Amino acid sequence: MNIHTVRGVMDEMLQALLLFWLPVSVVPFGVWIFLSSSNDQRKTFGRFLAFVGIVMICISPWTVPSSPSTAAGHLLGAIIGPAVLILLGIYLVSFSGHVPVGRLPRSDRKLGMILSFVGFAWFAGMHWWILTPQIASGKVNDYWFVFWPTFLLLTSCLSSCAAIASLTIGDNRKTESNYMFMLSGLGFLIIFLGLNVDGPLITTDDFREHLWLSVADLAGIAVGGLLSVMVFALVIFVYEKTLPLPATIEAPQAAELEQVANVIASHIGGGVE
Amino acid sequence: MSGSRLAVTWRMMVLAFVLPLLLILAVEITLSSGIEGFDGDEAFTRFANATLTSYTLLSLLLLGNLFFYGESRNRPMAPLVGMFCASLLGVGATFFFINQGPMLLEDNGSAQAQVFYNIVHMLVSAGAVAFAVCVSLGSMFSAITSQKRRINFTSEEE
Repeated sequence: MNIHTVRGVMDEMLQALLLFWLPVSVVPFGVWIFLSSSNDQRKTFGRFLAFVGIVMICISPWTVPSSPSTAAGHLLGAIIGPAVLILLGIYLVSFSGHVPVGRLPRSDRKLGMILSFVGFAWFAGMHWWILTPQIASGKVNDYWFVFWPTFLLLTSCLSSCAAIASLTIGDNRKTESNYMFMLSGLGFLIIFLGLNVDGPLITTDDFREHLWLSVADLAGIAVGGLLSVMVFALVIFVYEKTLPLPATIEAPQAAELEQVANVIASHIGGGVE
Repeated sequence: MSGSRLAVTWRMMVLAFVLPLLLILAVEITLSSGIEGFDGDEAFTRFANATLTSYTLLSLLLLGNLFFYGESRNRPMAPLVGMFCASLLGVGATFFFINQGPMLLEDNGSAQAQVFYNIVHMLVSAGAVAFAVCVSLGSMFSAITSQKRRINFTSEEE
């Protein structure tokens, strides 16, 4: 490897650091500033920082084409449209119903349902139509195979769990439970179709292989997350256990008890208006 | 809710959570007489990488959280050092296991490349998980608010 190649590799690493990894770390930092500040200016700054980070991540396939990690930025750009439509749709449907505050007009309910439907149809079009995120012509973005099965599987599982929870914990929530079973069924149906119907770029074998990998992924995330939470709890527990017991105070004297009794007596009874 | 009833409810909820996966497996086994496309080695590699990465990243996140926990307690160093060591253990274990050979190296040429790949992979998976949670909880909320208003407390009759 000659000096020019070394410099080229360094440049590529520096580019990836500045134009991909830095924006990736700026997004949670911006969100943290936004959530933790009470000052309006700092809130705006946090929001601006997170927005700039997201834009930089989305355009990273063009700013740092040499880094394979930027495929994640490409995926973010591809899914942000349908994801926002679905979330906006759910927001409109939720807040056009019976909520005590921030109620939206009843007409927003239909609009919300249309937006959610379009969002799901857009996602389906990414699997079975020409909308598949392609990193190069005819080459599907690898991270799409990570995102799509994970999202479908977990949505189906969580909705099924929510349906049973509303039936067993909730009081007379059969209708709500049926809606959640429908959502779970929709997720299951899309998975079933993915396992049996080829898309123009995604075959059933591709989808099947990545579905099992997403199960392994979810199990790994659950185990790793649980381990770290247990370690965290253990660290706190050990620290709290080493702390000395707080000093005990003397029992109240008769005069103090009498004063307390007088204060209480002046607040209860209800004999005088 | 009594203790035994609560236990049954939790069991039912766990069963409901895994039900779609079990159904998919049942359909796959019925239609293809086996689990097609399942590669045990590849799945184990993914599971191990996901475990190591999620442990390390969440430990780092909790380390940051611990910093604020200390704010109300004269910022003690002991838990911070303990959690820092736990995070370092995750980083060390990740590099150690990836360097052991091709077991945890997916299609990447070096341990460093695999670590970066794991982080990006985790971000995408975490994004999918967060989106699924938002859709499920949001749908549950919208299903509840879409129903007729309920009267929870009847006014006391005079």
